[in-house]
Amino acid sequence: MKEKELILEVKDLKLDFRTYRGMVKALNGVYLNLYKGEVLGLVGESGCGKSVTALTIINLLPENAEILGGQILLNGENLLEKSKNEIRNIRAKEIASVFQDPMTFLNPVLTIGTQLRETFMLNTDSLKQAVTAQRPKGKAITYLDFLSLKKQSSNKPHKSNKVPRGEVKKMAKTLCLDVLRIVRLPDPERILRQYPFELSGGMRQRCMIAMALARKPSIFIADEITTAVDVTIQAQILQLMRELRDVIEASTLMITHDLSVAAEIADRVAVMYGGNTVEVASTREIFRNPLHPYTQMLMKAIPNIAKPVKKLASIPGIVPDLIDPPPGCRFHLRCPYVMPVCQGEFPTIKEVKEDHEVACYLY
Amino acid sequence: MKKVGTEARTGEWAARWADFKYTIFLMRKNPLVMLGSIIAIFFIALSLLATFIVDPNLATPRGYGGSYPFERSYVWSEGHIINWGPGIALYDGPEFFYLGTDRWGRDLLAMIILAIPVDMENAVIIVVGASIFGTLLGALAGYIGGVLDEAILRITDIFLAFPALVLALVFAAMLGRSIPTLRLALLLVWWPPYVRLMRGQILSEKGKTYVEALRALGAGHLRVLFRHIIPNSIYPILVQATLDFGGVILTFSALMFLGFSPTPSLPELGNLAAVGYGHMFDAPWLIIFPGLTMLLIALAFNLVGDGLRDVLDPRLRR
Amino acid sequence: MRLYEYVIRRLILMIFVLFGVSIIVFYLARGFPAAFDPVAPYVTPKMTAEQIAEVRRFHGFDQPLYLQYFFWLRNVLNGDWGLAGIYAQGQPVYKVFFNSFPYTVELAVTAVILTVTIGLPLGIISAVKNNKIPDHISRIIALTGYATPSYWFGFMLQLVFFYYFSLWGLPNLPSSGASGMARVVPRVTGMPVLDGLIGGNLAYTLDALSHLILPAFSLAFISLGFLARIVRASMLEVLRQDYIILARSKGLKERVVIYRHALKNALIPAVTLTGLFFAYLLGGALITEFVFTWPGVGQLSLQAVMQGDSNFLLLYTLILAAIIVAANLVVDVAYVFLDPRIKY
Repeated sequence: MKEKELILEVKDLKLDFRTYRGMVKALNGVYLNLYKGEVLGLVGESGCGKSVTALTIINLLPENAEILGGQILLNGENLLEKSKNEIRNIRAKEIASVFQDPMTFLNPVLTIGTQLRETFMLNTDSLKQAVTAQRPKGKAITYLDFLSLKKQSSNKPHKSNKVPRGEVKKMAKTLCLDVLRIVRLPDPERILRQYPFELSGGMRQRCMIAMALARKPSIFIADEITTAVDVTIQAQILQLMRELRDVIEASTLMITHDLSVAAEIADRVAVMYGGNTVEVASTREIFRNPLHPYTQMLMKAIPNIAKPVKKLASIPGIVPDLIDPPPGCRFHLRCPYVMPVCQGEFPTIKEVKEDHEVACYLY
Repeated sequence: MKKVGTEARTGEWAARWADFKYTIFLMRKNPLVMLGSIIAIFFIALSLLATFIVDPNLATPRGYGGSYPFERSYVWSEGHIINWGPGIALYDGPEFFYLGTDRWGRDLLAMIILAIPVDMENAVIIVVGASIFGTLLGALAGYIGGVLDEAILRITDIFLAFPALVLALVFAAMLGRSIPTLRLALLLVWWPPYVRLMRGQILSEKGKTYVEALRALGAGHLRVLFRHIIPNSIYPILVQATLDFGGVILTFSALMFLGFSPTPSLPELGNLAAVGYGHMFDAPWLIIFPGLTMLLIALAFNLVGDGLRDVLDPRLRR
Repeated sequence: MRLYEYVIRRLILMIFVLFGVSIIVFYLARGFPAAFDPVAPYVTPKMTAEQIAEVRRFHGFDQPLYLQYFFWLRNVLNGDWGLAGIYAQGQPVYKVFFNSFPYTVELAVTAVILTVTIGLPLGIISAVKNNKIPDHISRIIALTGYATPSYWFGFMLQLVFFYYFSLWGLPNLPSSGASGMARVVPRVTGMPVLDGLIGGNLAYTLDALSHLILPAFSLAFISLGFLARIVRASMLEVLRQDYIILARSKGLKERVVIYRHALKNALIPAVTLTGLFFAYLLGGALITEFVFTWPGVGQLSLQAVMQGDSNFLLLYTLILAAIIVAANLVVDVAYVFLDPRIKY
């Protein structure tokens, strides 16, 4: 098997939200492993905690959130123990996020240029390096060159402090144009000057992706980025993500409620339900051989164009109320294989087959 | 059909009640609002009990029958005497003036306590009157629309083009100097903001689906307007009314201050300040305390109203 | 609709509004001889009945109301706004008004500057530290300011800074008037502070400033609270938006998020408010001018109302209405520049 390097590890993450009507037990012990260079699809219904997990990783939770336990290990370091400043740095240089609705997630009164440039300017060290690297060569630096700089930067000391600010800004602008080209936006010069409302939904989404790229991240978090756009744009964006992953060696956490998106782009898939991770396996495994009852029913519910079907299969019951969730396995009230032990403790997730983990008492 | 209507109504009121309880809960969490409410309740109680607490004799001019010798004879608290005059000798007694007296020997504290109900009553009458009038106009304008809407809007705009004080002055000068006419003057100045407020609410409620549903069920216009739309839009009006409470007291007292008071002996906070203004630096307490009282009353209602506005922000809920 | 067309439309509308206002004020001022005898400001108690009748005829007060309006309108279009009452020495109304207007402008500008300088940061802090101690403190300051009777506060300022300061031997701030020194510099703008600066006379300028501080602060105190609340409310609204989440997720410093991303969005209602407030102040903050004996337009208008001087009142209200309508227009146009989404 390939040697896989673990970049991000979420262990037993528990989180509550304080609300008027009580504590919402949103995350009940989430486990995630993200390896270097892969795309991990995180799927589940609305409200199962996918986005919350992502926000917890980058510490952008609302005020009423309370982390009860668990660890988030980035390259071995627990993010939950870091200071605000350190996390901010991580957001600026390591983990980049793209969100769902580009209309509301872009600042309406600032130009795309401003919003993009500020992302580059967070990384002045690398920008300065890029300027010094450019000078002797005499040819323009592209974004890809910029990317490769990162891998060297961790070793070299800051010898490039003497770069004038003007040059840094110019470099930032050059890179802005280049990164817009990479996300396949036509006429980047013009786009830099425009406001978000002047662009179409697909273009805005690409701008957000560009803003994420600007940080040379090692991890991408894409939170439902295809949900708010129509199907054709969705296809384009997925195509873009595919191209990007060949070019950039970042790992991606692809959050979606749409199984087909996961099928298209993810290497591995983690399924969440009611605040828990219930199954993790490679994409192929999950679709061919789902082990957890929830996953199985999900797969059965996907209408198949090829086969004729009389009635759409669905999962009986309703999503659990997270203020008063069912004890033990939160799916047991809807599970066709429910056993008495399911009402006790939540089953720990364990590797049942090679690279295939499930959290279920059936195994 | 009737049954469905009744059910819908009960459900709606139950929801409103739950909403109301949630509002109260949120307000209780805010210490400033609680502070404001306590102060406000204190003043309301004071105004209701004023005549029982204070001996009105303390608030009438003393000694020498009708006119008082024109000498400076102010008395500060703790019997500390600033100036002598023939009347002072009267005060050698055990009386202790917490807030001092004025030139005629009237106890300032007593006068303030007696003045509070007058001001509160004014405020209630003016605010309630203005808000009801303005709200109704605004509701009609918003709901019926068309020419009526335009007409009401234009009139309201003209009123709003004047600063409140100037307009109040003009009306006061026109209508005369008695308490009822002054109240009317302020009422005429105060209703326009409510029109705008209510109209805005109505316009946004009108487009909502429940209105369409109600009309489809056969509810008449009046019913929809008064039973459903208006109660749903009432909160901002409440906020504005609470905030206006203080504003009215301040403006009314300003009118007194500027010389529109019917008689100098009227117990009203602004009036007290106006009378005291003539002896500004000799007896500063004559202005300090009435003003302070007004400030406290207005502050209390402002705290409550502001807290209410905070709480009603739809994003804060849940 | 292009911007120009929009502005012109509004200006035309303004003329109609002004007409409406003039008619209403005219009717109020001259149509109620029981409450306001139109001749009152022009006569002294010493005049005989014939003299009074003569004055009445001179001003045309014996004519029917609509004729009076017509004459007034005709005069106005020729530039003649009539004479003011005895309290202003019977000078032409136009002159009386514009003699005092610069003082009001000086006061208004200073008050607005103070309001924004204090109120804006107060509101921002309140929003950023929502529901924590700084929020509560700024809330109390704001609401207290809003609850303070303006004459009372003006008086308190005078008491402390004028009276008690001199009692305690401290240098005190003057309590009345706009300037304590005779006019030693040429009158350019009519505003003592500016004229002092232009004329190069430092002592005069400083003296004018010392007169300016108390009344300006008195005005500002009351309204800075209001501004702070509005800024707070809109900042809170903005800080809840999704794009703030994105800005934070980029790893931007919190300060950058607030000032570059949030503030620009949140300032729009605050700008409206400030603009309208400034317009209102230009009409003369009556009470403050009265308490501080500030020779501005507000004081004049008070006298005019008390005496029923219809000529002055007409000029005053029309200018005031024009200012307010113009301010509304300016604010609406400013929106276009602040919020790129708005187009006319």
